[in-house]
Amino acid sequence: MTTAPPLAAPAAGPKPRPEIVVRGRHIPVVLPKRTDPRLKLSATIWTITLLGLTVLSFQVSIPQIAVTVLLCAAIEVGVTYRREHVLVWPASALQTGISVAFIFRVAGQQHADRWSGRGLPIFAFVAVISLLPKYFIRHNNRHIFNPSNIGLAWALLLFGPSHVFSEHLWWAPLGVPILVAFAVIFGGAFWVLRQVKMIQLATMFLATFLPLIGLFALFGRTYWAGWHRGPVGGSFYWLTIALSPELLIFTFFMITDPQTAPKSKLGRLIYASLTAVVCAALILPQTTEFGIKVAILSSLLVTCALVPAIERLVKRIEARRSPEAAAAVAPKVPLARRLAIGLRNPVLVVVTVIAVAAPLNTLLLSRDRKVELIERGLVEKPVQ
Amino acid sequence: MLGWLAVLAVTFTAVVGTNVAGVRDHFFEPATPAATPPALGRVAGDAPASGVAAARTSLRSYPWWQEVKTLQGVGTMTVPAFTIAEGAVQWRVKGTCQSGPIVVHSSSQARPVVDSLCSGEVTGYGSRSGSISLQVTADGPWKLTVAQQLDTPLVEPLLPAMTAAGSKAIASGSFYNIDKSATGRVTVYEQANGRYSLRLDDFFVSPNADLQLRFSTLEAPRSSRDYLSAKSEFIVVMDVTAGSLNFTIPAGGDPTLYKSVVVWRGPAKSAYAAASLRPVR
Repeated sequence: MTTAPPLAAPAAGPKPRPEIVVRGRHIPVVLPKRTDPRLKLSATIWTITLLGLTVLSFQVSIPQIAVTVLLCAAIEVGVTYRREHVLVWPASALQTGISVAFIFRVAGQQHADRWSGRGLPIFAFVAVISLLPKYFIRHNNRHIFNPSNIGLAWALLLFGPSHVFSEHLWWAPLGVPILVAFAVIFGGAFWVLRQVKMIQLATMFLATFLPLIGLFALFGRTYWAGWHRGPVGGSFYWLTIALSPELLIFTFFMITDPQTAPKSKLGRLIYASLTAVVCAALILPQTTEFGIKVAILSSLLVTCALVPAIERLVKRIEARRSPEAAAAVAPKVPLARRLAIGLRNPVLVVVTVIAVAAPLNTLLLSRDRKVELIERGLVEKPVQ
Repeated sequence: MLGWLAVLAVTFTAVVGTNVAGVRDHFFEPATPAATPPALGRVAGDAPASGVAAARTSLRSYPWWQEVKTLQGVGTMTVPAFTIAEGAVQWRVKGTCQSGPIVVHSSSQARPVVDSLCSGEVTGYGSRSGSISLQVTADGPWKLTVAQQLDTPLVEPLLPAMTAAGSKAIASGSFYNIDKSATGRVTVYEQANGRYSLRLDDFFVSPNADLQLRFSTLEAPRSSRDYLSAKSEFIVVMDVTAGSLNFTIPAGGDPTLYKSVVVWRGPAKSAYAAASLRPVR
């Protein structure tokens, strides 16, 4: 017995694509789908930002958020239109913009000054350097660096602790506001990561990173933070790094970016554990909260740059396991030839400079005693 | 072409980000001033004392006056040149004369530094640094003290009374922040003559005028209100707010009655910082 195929639904004609008409020219408009994970991510980050503006005393103003978000959106709309003559809803850029504004701070910004225009050019600069690498630093038709990660890390290293910083590792004493923020972060993480199948990657990162930070705490590492009397050490060292909302956001919403993480499952596990190890290694010598936050962000620049190498490694591992996979592996090119090719490729040179300079400059921060003076409040940050 | 421009831009910003040789500070004004050597005494030219750490530092004190030279003479004369330090905020001439007007011209400025009648103390200010000579025009005897205003920390050697036989450190503690930031250690000495003195080592407190050191009966005051709730005793007004400093406790002052030292700013009723005193064994 066979089953008859279901009757076809009456033909309804293709759904008209939305478009706008400018001076007689029809420009297609691409709007996001409701299932787009970027919308979920944006909703999560916007919720935390609103909590920050209302009950968590974030040192960020509405104009700073607006400039960053709108400039990111304008760049994305402009570049996409120029390339494809289509108006695309800038979901990724809006996400980048709010992520940057949510984390980035300029010195001298007061908690309660919600309409401050302080440091707007710096916010605009960070928006630009977050977005541009997305279009120009690419490999295999994918961007290499997570946009907000590169913008934040590079700006923090470039301007230094006298002028900029990122939101504190520990937002507030344990209470209802911080518990609500944790609930939003964990809830948002589950909502987003389940859809993009990145829960395993985030878990692998935490499983590698948290014990390493525990070891550092056990061996007496401490750091200075402006919000704490005296150095942060012992179990509070572990707690304020391992359960820092900043670190959780980095874990759940930065390293898990499907565009910049490896595609294969094994590659993702290697990438997650490598990021954790690099992150811990960069944190180890840091004696200030500023250094630790930059170390967290810089670690991802290193591992994102290594993603093509991780993917090649995974292919070779798989090739050893199966002959079919072996056929797909490109023949090995001698190192000297690869270097010669690489040096002629500006994208590869830029990626190398970023991947080397970010950790190096982060390590140099740990040797700069002035950072400690600033973090301890022994010198005043200049008014911009 | 655009790609190689990007390489240049990224490399340039990477180099700036190293801050090697202060390259970042060159482009973006740093919060921390350049590291400079501290002053080694309350009189310019004091030699470094052995055993006193005088490393270069970026920390700055509230501006304080360091004596440069004492001059005296009768009538009109040119006094030998003296040197005002490169980083001095300003310098001043302060003194007395007995009769008639006194006019002091400096080699560094057209306007006279002092131009007044000899009634009480005369004072005048200059702002240039380097070698300065003064021309004093007066009718009778005069005595002037030149001082320069510095914001570098002051590193003093221990007072002889602190190291004399029979003197001993009786209590010490480390500073912690209350309303402002502070760092360093305090040590209380009982001198051989029965009086007490106090030394601050590697000390810094957020600079301001009218800061006082006071003893408190609280073991560890945590707020200005906390401090005000308990008995306290004035020790000294701090003219210098960074460095390694000595203070003699006023006669009759007994630090053994107290459990902490507080940096207090009276006009603002603000406890800047405090250090709990622990007995030295």
